[in-house]
Amino acid sequence: QGTIHPFRKTHRSFFGKLSQEFRLVTSDRQSWRILVFSMLNVFCTGCLLMWCSSTNSMALTAYTYLTIFDLFSRVFSVIFVCLIAHVCVCVFSTRFKRLEVLAVFASTVLVQLGALFILKESVERFVEQPEVHTGRLLVGTFVALFFNLLTLLSVKNKPFVYVSEAASTSWLQEHVADLSRSLCGIIPGLSSVLLPRMNPFVLINVAGALSLSITYMLIEINNYNAVDTASAVAIGLMIFGTMYPMSVYSGKVLLQTTPSHVIGQLDKLLREVSTLEGVLEVRNEHFWTVGFGSLAGSVHVRIRRDANEQMVLAHVTNRLFTLVSTLTVQIFKDDWIRPSLMAEALPASTLRPSDYGGLSSFVPPPPKPSEDINRLTSTPFKPSSPPPEFSFNTPGRHVHPVVLPNTQPQRPYGMGLSYGASPYTSMLNQDLARPGMGIGIGMNLGMGAAPQRFGRHPF
Amino acid sequence: MDDKYSSNVLSSGQLGMVEVPNARLTRYIVLLLVSKVLKALGIFESYDLLKVVHIVQFIFILKLGCAVILVFFQKPFSSGKAISKRQWIKLLKHSVISCIISLLGFFGLTLCGPLRTLLLFEHSDVVVIALLSVLFTSSGGGPSKTRGAALFIIAVICLLLFDNDDLMAKMAEHPEGHHDSALTHALYTAIAFLGVADHKGGVVLLVVSLCLKIGFHTASRKLSVEIGGAKRLYALDNLVSCIVLLPWVIVVQSSWSALILPFGMIIFSVMILEFYVESICIAKMEAPRCARYGSIFLFLSGLLLANFWTHPLTEQLRTMSKTPQQESTETEHVLSGGVLVSAIFFIMADSILSSPSKKGQKGTLVGYSPEGTPLYNFMGDALQHTSQSLPRFIKDSLKQILEEYDSRQIFYFLCLNLAFTFVELFYGVWTNSLGLISDGFHMLFDCSALVLGLFAALMTRWKATRIYSYGYGRVEILSGFINGLFLMVIAFFVFVESVTRLVDPPNINTDMLTPVSVGGLLVNLVGICAFSHAHSHGAAKSNCSSHDHGHSHGHGSHGHSHGSSHGHSHGGGMNANMRGVFLHVLADTLGSVGVIISTILIRQFGWLIADPICSLFISTLIFLSVIPLLTDAAEVLLLRTPPEHEKDLNIALEKIEKVEGVLSYRDPHFWRHSASVIAGTIHLQLMSDVVEQRIIQQVTAILKDAGVNNLSVQVEKEAYFQHMSGLTTGFHDVLAMTQQMESMNYLKDGTCIM
Repeated sequence: QGTIHPFRKTHRSFFGKLSQEFRLVTSDRQSWRILVFSMLNVFCTGCLLMWCSSTNSMALTAYTYLTIFDLFSRVFSVIFVCLIAHVCVCVFSTRFKRLEVLAVFASTVLVQLGALFILKESVERFVEQPEVHTGRLLVGTFVALFFNLLTLLSVKNKPFVYVSEAASTSWLQEHVADLSRSLCGIIPGLSSVLLPRMNPFVLINVAGALSLSITYMLIEINNYNAVDTASAVAIGLMIFGTMYPMSVYSGKVLLQTTPSHVIGQLDKLLREVSTLEGVLEVRNEHFWTVGFGSLAGSVHVRIRRDANEQMVLAHVTNRLFTLVSTLTVQIFKDDWIRPSLMAEALPASTLRPSDYGGLSSFVPPPPKPSEDINRLTSTPFKPSSPPPEFSFNTPGRHVHPVVLPNTQPQRPYGMGLSYGASPYTSMLNQDLARPGMGIGIGMNLGMGAAPQRFGRHPF
Repeated sequence: MDDKYSSNVLSSGQLGMVEVPNARLTRYIVLLLVSKVLKALGIFESYDLLKVVHIVQFIFILKLGCAVILVFFQKPFSSGKAISKRQWIKLLKHSVISCIISLLGFFGLTLCGPLRTLLLFEHSDVVVIALLSVLFTSSGGGPSKTRGAALFIIAVICLLLFDNDDLMAKMAEHPEGHHDSALTHALYTAIAFLGVADHKGGVVLLVVSLCLKIGFHTASRKLSVEIGGAKRLYALDNLVSCIVLLPWVIVVQSSWSALILPFGMIIFSVMILEFYVESICIAKMEAPRCARYGSIFLFLSGLLLANFWTHPLTEQLRTMSKTPQQESTETEHVLSGGVLVSAIFFIMADSILSSPSKKGQKGTLVGYSPEGTPLYNFMGDALQHTSQSLPRFIKDSLKQILEEYDSRQIFYFLCLNLAFTFVELFYGVWTNSLGLISDGFHMLFDCSALVLGLFAALMTRWKATRIYSYGYGRVEILSGFINGLFLMVIAFFVFVESVTRLVDPPNINTDMLTPVSVGGLLVNLVGICAFSHAHSHGAAKSNCSSHDHGHSHGHGSHGHSHGSSHGHSHGGGMNANMRGVFLHVLADTLGSVGVIISTILIRQFGWLIADPICSLFISTLIFLSVIPLLTDAAEVLLLRTPPEHEKDLNIALEKIEKVEGVLSYRDPHFWRHSASVIAGTIHLQLMSDVVEQRIIQQVTAILKDAGVNNLSVQVEKEAYFQHMSGLTTGFHDVLAMTQQMESMNYLKDGTCIM
């Protein structure tokens, strides 16, 4: 009953393609290495499963699942190398990066389901404890530990590394961090080794091996067979603890949620957007992560009737572009038929500067947080919604900061204008070589006294 | 050095608690040590005494002696303010409860022996309250406290499981004549009913009475203030409990006059000295430190005594008592490995749990002070603790569940399933049939999938939040995906199991199987009926709702936004959650059918091989039926263009290209967000002389016809690219923009320039 492993490939169609791509994979050195490791892992897993059934030990079975998880992530990464190398993802168009996320999610959930199965079996075993033979227990433990660590440290699995760093810490990590902090209080020299965030996979492997050795000792010395079940439960719980944050993280990506660590920055940007001249409100804002790390979003911006849509669009895009790489902005005007007709009927030259003041003095005022909160409406927005939670000095729980180039928002192009020969104009004149454009700007610049009329092109 | 790594915001500077150096406290620590050693001695002695003296009598004598001494010292009647009648009644209640607790404690002592009693029962309030707060509240105080709680629990489990006390096996078959009172007999039968050995029952009893004791201490704090001091309360309490116990003692007559000396010793060490020393130490040192030292001293002295205690009283007692109840060959509660380990764990747990919380409070960063030090807001903890009462929470969630058809269906079926499971489990325990019990656990395992489905069905109706900006509809699909994975795991386990059985078919006892599997089949058939209905119903409803949604969002200028002919092409319905649950129930039904068939075959023809073949077949069926669910859910999760809309969307895109004024489009993304929402984004390039809003409306209408009901259109003219290239100063960006502009072929021949 211990000889089973619960993991199935979830994407059948890819495995068919895998055989086609095999030649391709073997040509690449990196993927060749991964393939070798996968073979090794399969072999090791087979051995371990045999030993599991011969020792009749639940704890070893639970530990073997970790090995299978490793194998699984390896297999996935092979598929990805193959898929990246050969573009067979036309169906999924640009959303290919999500496949990684789905893979991480599926494998972490599968390993958790395996752990659930272990827990169930252990409860049954508590009722009637069978004999455990310790013959191969220790050997199996060390073989599994060795292979796991070898594969973990030698093959970099990009999506898993990313998730393990970005997801919140597991309880195992927290406890180890706490213990090592108090240890560092005694021996400060160890702080460079112990204080940084531990790799959760290494941690769970070592902890599992430790509990298996304790099991072995107790069974050898005192014949406490129940220890085996207890340590199986412990390993199962550890698997849960380690995998749960990762599956939550990747599941949230799959659910198209706004990642909570960028919410603060997004709010700031949206506030800036809503203070732009001509913008009335920002609504229906949806932001989500496509793959790991790349943000996409769509937003509806309602503007004044007399505002220039393309201008606002350009500014909004420019603001949000620093954070959101794939952006769709829909500009909205209420009652658009009447004013637009009026605006077109009027010749541009007859417009008084005061009329224009609204849309063309686009030097945005520095964002004033006090007044603009209510301008950002329509989707629930709490100004007190969780800013990154803070806890002092705990190395384990750190929110991944997204570095935002700080200089960007303070770059209104009115500044460039005052210098006359700004990069803006020169760039345009050189690269675009659009005479009409160049003339328009040149004229505006030449006037100097009315710089706010810049950007309005005569239709 | 410790400061550098401590995570405490408050105590890292001068603000924190100032610890009194140990040197000044040496006196009190020594006092504490002496009192604890004496207390351990007293407990050991009272264990011996309890063998001959009846327990109620024993407690009565303790209380009486204590009361006499305390009344003499404290003078509760002559000093302090008078006690009103209401306070007397409270005092009476208080002392009745204290009698019950000490009764339980000493009864536990007779069951588990002195050392285990010391380990289990003598924890200070601080420790237990920290433990309970870790276990039952969210703000336990960091990982170290959690570790302490885990150690505590492991220690208790060690005592329960790994402590093979030889005496216990003997006492388990205790002769009925041994019990000399109704009370002890009742307790014994209660423990025997639990089906555990005596000392294990004692462990459970002691843990329960420890919790009672702590709760009692906390509750009596108010009374002690009312009465006028803990000492006065203690004296009065002892007196009143004497009076409470008196009638009982008169009924149970036996002689104890020869044991004055040991009783005096016990009264002095256990009841009086410890009380006074504890109160002094708590006043002089802080309570956590007192608790830490006290428990360490107590446990260590208990361990030492357990090793060296030779039961000096036992001989004397045995000669004195006329009817020796037990043979002299009996061994006492000895030290075993389990006890040793658990003692070490208890000491560690106590020292961790009683240490003041080092964990810094969680604050939110507010900003920076002018000097550059960060400022935090600690208000959150105090404000967020508006915990809902449990019954109210249950009521609310039940109401939510019963509101909608899907979740109601799942909930009823879950209840049915759970009821069946528990009947099975109880019957299994009753008849001691392992097969039934394991089948019950298997059912519970299956129920977890149902719980998942129920939860997802609940969540889908939550309102959209900042993080879940489209609403929670997608949870349903994710839950369907997880359920699919779950089924795959189950199918695989069954498959491997049946392969191993195929090689070596075991003998199956078929007696119990038939009724159980028939019962399971019936339950699951009910489920299938319910869910297949819900299935079709849900699909139809989701279609309807999606169209309603579409109408309400139409901006109304164009009349051709009625798309009722679309969307019916998808056959299975997109409610992946219900599909997952349905498949689960189907798999269970198949399992029961398989068991019935194989039982019949085995009964009639004796084909043992029929069972594994059946399960092979079933697992393959499950596997095959799950694959479509998994692929569908995966496609939705991967944001794929919904296949059933693909054709419509292509046609719509062609139409969009033909709209007047549209030059081209780029980045068309359409994906199904949840059962009712199909979202999309598209970028359009326009000629510079068309009105954008008109185009937006036309495009929205066209795409709405194709089934997209949550759309954002970005409309770009040439001016946009010029602005963009002006705004982005980076050379590469401009280059990219230029290329994009050049891709608009109309611009090439210069017709559109200004």
